Amino acid sequence: MSDPYKVLNIPPTATDDEVKHAYRQLARKYHPDNYQDNPLADLAQEKMKEINEAYEQIQRQRKIGSAAASSSDRGENGYRYGYGGSAHRAASGSPLMQRVRMAIAEGDISQAERLLNEAEEHDAEWNFLMAVVSSRRGWMDDAKRYLETACRMDPTNEEYRAAMNRFAAGGFHPEGYRGVSTMSYDSECLRYCATLAICSCCSGGRFCILPC
Amino acid sequence: MFGYVRPAAHRLGEADNERFRSVYCGLCHVLGRRYGLAARFLLNFDFTLLAILLSLGEGTERCVRRCAVHPCRGCAVLRETAALDVAADRIVILAWWQLRDHIADHGFWSGLKYRLAALLLRRAYRKAKTLAASFDTAVQKHLDELALREREHCASLDAAAEPFAALLAEIASVETDETRRRILTQLFYHLGRWIYLADAADDFREDAKSGNYNPLRYRYGAEADVLPEDAKRSLAETLDASIRRMAGAYALLDAGEWAPLLDSIFYDSLFGIGRAVLDGVYHRPPRIRSGRGAEEERYERSL
Repeated sequence: MSDPYKVLNIPPTATDDEVKHAYRQLARKYHPDNYQDNPLADLAQEKMKEINEAYEQIQRQRKIGSAAASSSDRGENGYRYGYGGSAHRAASGSPLMQRVRMAIAEGDISQAERLLNEAEEHDAEWNFLMAVVSSRRGWMDDAKRYLETACRMDPTNEEYRAAMNRFAAGGFHPEGYRGVSTMSYDSECLRYCATLAICSCCSGGRFCILPC
Repeated sequence: MFGYVRPAAHRLGEADNERFRSVYCGLCHVLGRRYGLAARFLLNFDFTLLAILLSLGEGTERCVRRCAVHPCRGCAVLRETAALDVAADRIVILAWWQLRDHIADHGFWSGLKYRLAALLLRRAYRKAKTLAASFDTAVQKHLDELALREREHCASLDAAAEPFAALLAEIASVETDETRRRILTQLFYHLGRWIYLADAADDFREDAKSGNYNPLRYRYGAEADVLPEDAKRSLAETLDASIRRMAGAYALLDAGEWAPLLDSIFYDSLFGIGRAVLDGVYHRPPRIRSGRGAEEERYERSL
């Protein structure tokens, strides 16, 4: 296995707290919530596995190395991120929707789409699965609309609500960056955009790309 | 291409800002060397980002070059790399087909300047076409689809943005490593989607006046010449969704020394640029404007 410290991007001299901090940062970065219905979810899952293994290995090495072993081991305090089983396996109302879920689980999105187009009844589950398929294709606006419809048609459904919450979640941002969104971006920084744009004082203006 | 993307310069030190500039200048020199002076005027920021993402892992050796803009002191430019060549070929091909579109859309007199520009670019295009034949076919296909969506007044933002997004995603096909290709395809797709939607928001008022197709008008049923607040909020959410997809893909790449620069783009500046566009306070820098008018200006200047 590769150097666990390299995986966590820290020097071998890092303290236990630094190790834990680095691990948590990376685990937040590759958290399954950030890759919901994302075609790259398998790659994020691999990364997560690497990080988990590296952290475990460091913990093990350090435990052996020191008599006073730390009790804040990942396994002991239950701090473990991971990818669960394949999503969207919940029980379906109809055999057709069951087949759609299977197609999605196998990653065959065009097949799932074909099956959905065959459906005559557009109930809450149909809308939910359309949202999943749209999201897999990167059609994020359609995905949101289908998901909203699904939640409206069946407001008590846990699966749809959880998906909606994940959809609305802020996503990962590294240290030093606030969790911003397009709507919440503050006007203080906007002024910077304006300065950036009107800047034409150096380099004859034409090739100037940076605020001066 | 439109030229919206740029790093959050206020977050970066001198070195990182210089680094971005070195790619921009490097790309300009490559365009000049491969395709002549006229092609240099096609340069923009979006392709600078593409070139950076394609060149991750390649050399970052820089050298000082002089040009008409920096005749005396010159500036540090990225040495020619395969990624810069790839970006340059694609800039030329894309510009060529956008010009053909304009020529088709305009009458004899009003389309004259495009014809003239096309004449200037013809040699460059022929060369680029031999170097990137599959991209050439893909661009034609996607731009045809785009025209079709415009004609049928497509009311889905995603369907309207798909051709341009797929066109940018096509650029990732030069990657030989399977995993990196998948990551970049996703990243470029959402970059294209974000650029297309930001541009639609930016042109909203203009299109409302001229009656040109704008996907936002059909999606939100907005009759006025400004987007209503709830439409803005909904558009902002979907722009966020694309930025998060880009950030998710970016997180899987090893950015090395480019990390601070790219972090500032994917975790900060894209949100700010989107907000500025939505509020109508985004002013494009003099040379880099979007859409049709922009192409005109650019070519007029190049003439």
